[in-house]
Amino acid sequence: MNRILLFLFLLLGQASWAQTSPPPKREVVGRDIGQLKGIKISGRIMDEITGEALVGATVTVPELNLTRITDANGGFELTLDRAEYNLQFRYVGYESIEHRITAVGDGRMSIRMIQEDFQLDDVVIFGRDPEKNIRSTDMGAVTLSMNTMRELPPFLGEVDIVRSLATLPGVSQVGEASSGLNIRGGGVDQNLIQYGGAPIYNPSHMFGLFTAFNADVVNDVTLYKAAVPARYGGRSSAILDIQPKAGAIDRWGADLMLSNYSGKISVNGPLVKDKVSILGGFRISYINWFLHAMNNSTLRNSEANFYDGNLVISAPVSENNELTYSYYTSYDDFAFSSDTTISWKNVAHSLQWKSRLSAKLSLEALGYLTRYNYGIFNDSGINDFQINSDIEDLGGKLFVTYELGAANKISLGALYKQVAIQPGELVPTGQEDILPKKVQDEQGRELAAHFQHEFELGEKLGFSYGLRYDLYQYLGPRTVREYAEGQPISDGNAIAETQYADGEVIQDFSGLGPRASVRYSFDKSSSVKLGYNKMYQFIHLISNTATIAPSDVWKLSDPFLKPQIADQYSLGFYKNLKGNIFETSLEVYYKDLQNVVEYKDGASLILQDHIETELIPAEGKAYGVELYVKKNLGRLTGWVSYTYSRALRRVMTDFEEEKINDGAWYPSNFDKPHDLTLIGNYKVSTNTSVSATFAYSSGRPVTLPAAKFDYSGNSLAYFDSRNQSRIPDFHRLDLAINFKFNGEGLFFEGNWTFSLLNVYARKNPFSVYFDDKEMAPPQSFRLALLGVPLPSMSYAIKF
Amino acid sequence: MLKRLIYLLLLIPLSCIDPYQVEVPEGEQLLIVEGTITSGPGPHAITLTRSATYGSDYEGFIRPVQRAIVSLRDDQGGTVLLTESQTAKGSYFTDAAFRAEVGRTYTLLIQTSDGKLYSSAPEKVAAVPELKNLGFRTVVIEQDGGENPKSGIQLIAEVDDPIEENNFYYWRTGPAVYILETRPDLYTPPISPTNPNPIPQPKPCCVYCFRTEISDNRSIFVETDDSFNGLTTYLPAAFVADDGMRFVNKFRIDVRQLGISQDAYRFLRLVQQQTETSGSIFDPPPATIRGNMFSLDDPKEVVLGYFIAAGESTQRIYVNKSELTFQQNRAIIPDDCREVEGANFDPPADWKP
Repeated sequence: MNRILLFLFLLLGQASWAQTSPPPKREVVGRDIGQLKGIKISGRIMDEITGEALVGATVTVPELNLTRITDANGGFELTLDRAEYNLQFRYVGYESIEHRITAVGDGRMSIRMIQEDFQLDDVVIFGRDPEKNIRSTDMGAVTLSMNTMRELPPFLGEVDIVRSLATLPGVSQVGEASSGLNIRGGGVDQNLIQYGGAPIYNPSHMFGLFTAFNADVVNDVTLYKAAVPARYGGRSSAILDIQPKAGAIDRWGADLMLSNYSGKISVNGPLVKDKVSILGGFRISYINWFLHAMNNSTLRNSEANFYDGNLVISAPVSENNELTYSYYTSYDDFAFSSDTTISWKNVAHSLQWKSRLSAKLSLEALGYLTRYNYGIFNDSGINDFQINSDIEDLGGKLFVTYELGAANKISLGALYKQVAIQPGELVPTGQEDILPKKVQDEQGRELAAHFQHEFELGEKLGFSYGLRYDLYQYLGPRTVREYAEGQPISDGNAIAETQYADGEVIQDFSGLGPRASVRYSFDKSSSVKLGYNKMYQFIHLISNTATIAPSDVWKLSDPFLKPQIADQYSLGFYKNLKGNIFETSLEVYYKDLQNVVEYKDGASLILQDHIETELIPAEGKAYGVELYVKKNLGRLTGWVSYTYSRALRRVMTDFEEEKINDGAWYPSNFDKPHDLTLIGNYKVSTNTSVSATFAYSSGRPVTLPAAKFDYSGNSLAYFDSRNQSRIPDFHRLDLAINFKFNGEGLFFEGNWTFSLLNVYARKNPFSVYFDDKEMAPPQSFRLALLGVPLPSMSYAIKF
Repeated sequence: MLKRLIYLLLLIPLSCIDPYQVEVPEGEQLLIVEGTITSGPGPHAITLTRSATYGSDYEGFIRPVQRAIVSLRDDQGGTVLLTESQTAKGSYFTDAAFRAEVGRTYTLLIQTSDGKLYSSAPEKVAAVPELKNLGFRTVVIEQDGGENPKSGIQLIAEVDDPIEENNFYYWRTGPAVYILETRPDLYTPPISPTNPNPIPQPKPCCVYCFRTEISDNRSIFVETDDSFNGLTTYLPAAFVADDGMRFVNKFRIDVRQLGISQDAYRFLRLVQQQTETSGSIFDPPPATIRGNMFSLDDPKEVVLGYFIAAGESTQRIYVNKSELTFQQNRAIIPDDCREVEGANFDPPADWKP
C-alpha cells in the first residue's frame, strides 16, 4: 500500500511538474475565411508508434462540455465556434493529451497518442472514459479493450475473449473448456454474438477449448447484459458486440505470435496511402503434430485442426462517408480415432457504411451474410455415411442518430433478416444400403423497427428509453403436422398434415420490446440506476448436452416452438473512489424467461424431422446480486467480482409422463449460486509483469441415481428427479509472467508470456457420472477436464 | 530427451477420469422385472429382483424376489402360469412348449409374496423379418499405454426389411459352442499343504473338447428401420470378445433376432444410452428409464424394467480360426480339457464339423 501511495505521489508530482512547465504553443486550426460559427474540425487519433487508429478514444472540449468518441477509423468531428479551446484526448492504456487550439475555420487535425507502457511503469485499465460507468445511463454494459484482456493470465498461450468475459460478474461457463457463456441465468444460445455487425453461430475451436476470435484483430468487445439498447434484439439474454480493428493508413505493420498450440499473424497497412487501409489476420493450430506423437493410441489416431482468418478493408469515400468491409471465417475438423470426422465452419461478410449527413445527423447502414455449417463423416467401414447441416443468415440494418442537444440524442433504426436452415441431411457413402435421409429445410424472416431517446435533465438525472417492435414469420415450403388436442405431442398422436407453399407464412409472431433506464447521480463519483428490458428470440439451439456441441442444430420458432421472451429488471449502485482509481458497482437483477426448451427423457435430436415430439416447453427465472471492485491504476491493477445468482427452470406441461421433477422449479445445468473471481496484475518492472486469476464457484447441479437396478447383465442407475445434487465446488488458480523486450530496429517489441493454469493441480470435476464398467463394481466416476497444471508459453513480436 | 521435454511442455494429457465417491441417497427397494417371451422355442424366463443403493458395498449382490405368482394372460383370455426355478432364484419359467404367437397381445401379472399385485401394459408380439444371413468381421480395439490391443468378432445380421411397417430390432445371442484346446501334457497338481512342491504329472488326455457357454453379451444391440426401411441391409448384432480360447479352432454361436414394439425399443435405447455414457462433455443428461410395468395397488409406486413380447428369427454361424484377421495370443490351460467348466469330450448332437 505504501508503495502505491508513494507511486501516486510520484505520479502527482509528475503531473504538477508538467503543469509548471511553459504551456505548449497554441495551434491555430483551420483556413481562416472569417467564419465565426459552425466551424467543422475533423481529425483522427492514432497510435504514435504503430500508426493504428485508436477506436473509441474520447475527445473532450471542456469549454463546451462536449465529448466525442472516435469511430472505427479513429476519426472524430467537432463543431466549434471561433475561439480558443483546450482539447483533451483520452484512451485506455494511453497517455492522455491536452491539446490547445484556436479554431478559425474548417480544418483537420491529426493526434498521435502514446501508450502508457512506454512512459510509465504502470498499467491503466480504465474503460474508455474513466467516469463513463457513473455518468452514462448504460447498465450492465461492459467494454473490455484488448489492452485490458492482455493483462489477464492467458489461456493456453493467448488472450481468449470468451474466457476473459467469464471473469466478469454475472457471466459464467458450464465448466472448463466449454464453449459459450451463460449470462445472468440465460442459456448459451440466448446471447447474440456479432462480429463486425454479423451474427456468428459457433465461435469456438476444438469444442470450446479455444475461442475462434483472433484477439490481435479485435479492437474491443462490448457486452450488454441488462437494459440492452433498442438497436439490439433477436436474442433474449445478452449481446456480445465484437468490433474488428481497422488497419493503419500511413504505414505497414505486422504482429506475429507463436504459442505452443497455435500461431497467428496479422498484417495491416495502407492499401492506398492515407485513404484505404487493410488488415488481415490468420491463426492456425499445430496441435495435430503433437497428437501424432502421443503414446495414447486414441490420441495418436485422432486429428485436430483449426484455423481462423479475418480481413478488414476500410475506405473513407469522402470526408463524411466511410465504407468498411469485414470478413471472418473459422474452420475446425476433429477425427476421433480416425473413423469419425466432424468439421465445422463459419463464414461472415459485412459491409458497413457510415455517414455524417450533418453536424447533428449521422447514419449507419450495414449488410451482412453469415453461414455456419457442419459435417459428420463416418468412415468406420460399416454403413458409412455423412451428415451435413448448415444455416444461412442474411440481413441489413439501418441506424440513424440525431442530436437534439448536447446531452439529448434520438436514434431510429430498422432491421430485416432472413434465416434459412438445413437441419440435417444423411448421405450414404458406403457399399451397404442405408437410406438417405433429409430433415425438412426451414426458413423464416425477422423485421424490426426501433427507436431510443437518451437525454439528461441537469447534472443529476439521465434517462434513456426505447421501444423495439419485432415481427417474425415462419415460412414454407414445409409440411406441418397436426397433433390430437389434449394429448402429448408424439408420433402416435399425429392426426393430419398440412402443406405450405414456398414463401407462404406458416406462423407469425410479433411483439413490443420496451427498454428503459434511469440514472440519478449523487455526485460526480456515485450514481444509482434502474433498468428494464424485454427481448424476443425466434431461434433456438437444440442441444441436450451440458455444453454445446458443434453438431447441435439451430431451430426456428414454429407453430410448436414459441419464441423465447425475456423480461429483465435491474438496479445498480455505482461509485468511483480516489479519483477513479477504484471503480465499484453493486447490481441486482431479476429475469423472467418464457418458452425455453427442455427435452424429453432420452430425446433423439439428430436428424429428427419432427423435433416437436422430443421437446417440452419450459419457463425460467433467474435472479442475482453482482459485486464488482476494480482497481484501474497503479502497479497493481485488477478486480474482484462476486456473484450470487440462481438460474431455475420449470417445465410447462399438462401430461404426467412429460413432467420433470413433478413440474416444480429445479436448477438449470448452469446454476452456480456462488461465483468469485479475483484478478491481479502486478508490474514488477518496466519490462516484467505477473498476473494471477483465482476463480471459485459452486459446483454445477448433477442428477444422482435414486437406486441401482440390474437389467440385461448391466447395473443401471435409476434417476427420478433432475439436478437435485451438486458436483464439488470449483476453484482454480492461474499464473502468468510476461516479459517485454524493447529494442531498436525491425523487431522493436518482443513479448514472452509463460503461464501456468491450474497451479495447484485441482481435479475440478466437469461431471460426475455413474457407470458399470467391466472388471469393476458399478460406481461413480469423475471427469476432470484439466486435472494437471497446464503450462503454456507464447512469443509475440511486432514489426 | 528433447522429445520428452517437448511432451512435457507442450501437450500433457489434460483430462482424467477416476472413481469418485459421492454421497448417494439410499436406494429404494423397487421391484425390477426383466423378461422376454418370443415366438421362438421355450422355456422363456421372467426374472424378478429388487433395486439397491447405487455404489453400495453389496454391489455384486442381486436380490431375487422369490415365491411370487407369475402368470401371462393373452388377449384371447388364455392364462399361462410360470414356475419358479429351483436353481436360479427369482427366475420364473414357462413350459418348454410355450411360444408367444405373433399378432397376439400378452400381459404379465405378478403377485409378490406380500400380496402386492403388479401388471405390465399389454405387449403385442410384432412379426419379425427373417434373419437372412449372419456374417462377421474382426474388430481390433487399440489400448492405451502400450498394452496389447483387445479384439473380437462383430456379428453382422443381414436383414430384408419390409417396407410396409416400422420395424424395431433387438438382437440377443444364444449359447455358443467352441472347440477348446488345452495342454494336458503340462499338468502340474496345485500346491497344497500336503504337497508343497508339486512335480509335473503330464496327463495322456484330452486336448480337444467342446465347450458350451452362455454368452456374456452385456451390450445392447437395437435398431429402428428409420434409415433402411424396405431395404436389404447389414447391421451389427453382437460382439464376441477374443479371450485367447474361443477362436483357437472353431467357434459357433446362435444369434436371435427379435421384433419388438416401439415402446420396448425406446426403453432399450435408454438402457443402451446409459451403458454407453462416458461422462464426456457431450453426454446427454441422465434420463429416467421408465418401463411398462406398474403397480395395481398404488399407481405412484415405481416399478422398473420391461416385459418384452417379441417375434423371433434365429441363425447360427460357424467361425474358423483362419477367418479372423487378428487373434489374441492363445491361452494355455495346463490340464485335461474336460476339467474346464462347460466342456465335453463329445460334440453336441447338432455340431457340423
